Amino acid sequence: MTATPRAGTPRSLGASLLDAVLAETLDPAYGQAAAARAAGRSPDRPRWRGRALVALTMVIAGLLVSVTYDRAAAGAKGREQVRDALISDIDKESAVSDDLQNQLQSLSRQVTRTRDELLAHSTVGKRALDALSSAEQASAAVRVTGPGLLITLANADPKADADPVGDTAEDNPQGQVRDGDLQVVVNALWAAGAEAISINGQRLGPLTAIRFAGEAVLVDFRPVNNPYEISAIGDPETLGAKFFASRDVVVLAGVSKAFGLRFDYARKDRLTLPAASIPELRHAVPETAVPEAPAGETSSSDPTPGG
Amino acid sequence: MIPILGLAAGVLLGLFLDPTVPLVLQPYLPIAVVAALDAVFGGFRARLDGIFDAKVFVISFVSNVVVAALIVFLGDQLGVGAQLSTAVVVVLGIRIFGNAAAIRRHVFRA
Repeated sequence: MTATPRAGTPRSLGASLLDAVLAETLDPAYGQAAAARAAGRSPDRPRWRGRALVALTMVIAGLLVSVTYDRAAAGAKGREQVRDALISDIDKESAVSDDLQNQLQSLSRQVTRTRDELLAHSTVGKRALDALSSAEQASAAVRVTGPGLLITLANADPKADADPVGDTAEDNPQGQVRDGDLQVVVNALWAAGAEAISINGQRLGPLTAIRFAGEAVLVDFRPVNNPYEISAIGDPETLGAKFFASRDVVVLAGVSKAFGLRFDYARKDRLTLPAASIPELRHAVPETAVPEAPAGETSSSDPTPGG
Repeated sequence: MIPILGLAAGVLLGLFLDPTVPLVLQPYLPIAVVAALDAVFGGFRARLDGIFDAKVFVISFVSNVVVAALIVFLGDQLGVGAQLSTAVVVVLGIRIFGNAAAIRRHVFRA
């Protein structure tokens, strides 16, 4: 487009459109009406009618302005109210959920204590108690403490020249720890003889899933965040030796190096792993039914063992 | 004087009566206000220029409001509602600024 159009040459359509918008800010009809009045061609209307019409139009203009303002203000206020209501709902429901969780924990402690007391009276009961405690260890139903390995997996550090606002680590999916990486580590740890494993304080039970949902890794359907600290209880020497002999771990270490993931491990003399989430009760037999019926027939229709 | 009183009366009426606007018309209220402002500023400038005409003012007001709302409605139907409202606001905004500058020149002689 030419910077300075010569006089007489037609300008481009876009430029003339802009000229028209910028120059003709006043409706040309006013000028035409004034010219017509000056020429005496316009019919003589009574002045009061024009004034009344103008006043009415101005009333409408004022109405439009105030109604629009009202609507905008009401909309903002409504959004604020809805937001506040939702936040208070969330707070209330999480308080209820925490409360129920506490109640559940205290009740299950009570059940355990009562059961232990009852079983401790007889030899059969003591044997059952021993079997139960080893089953509980295996099913991650109790807290455990012992020596073990602490493995840390973390996303790649953001590049030094990366924009701290727009260019976050999330934008670089190759530098992120995925569910599969955690699964490899956990499987290798089980294979190396780990007795108990937790990820960021989430204990892994026999039925715990490690999954990916969107950007977050879920362990037992609860999100865990970067960096991922995997604690495994077992003899640190043999556990570490077998773990690093695993082919999957060697591959993962290579991948971590290539993509800048952090993959550290440390031997710990004392690790404490919490109990996994309280398992659902899937199989139960009424107490009175035990002496008469054989165990096989009283079992519930769900054949899966308790998890 | 009468037009300014009318404007004030309209604002007060709207605030106190709180009339309900049909839901289908609500998206077009802001654009209609911008169009109305354009017509009002144009009328005020014409009056300062000494060429004010009641008929032209009323017709320009009504047509401005209706056409602006219609353009946005049409844009909504075609899926370019947001872009067309931007276009309407830009054009009317430039006109409002131009008229405001002319009014300023009249009032302050600068």
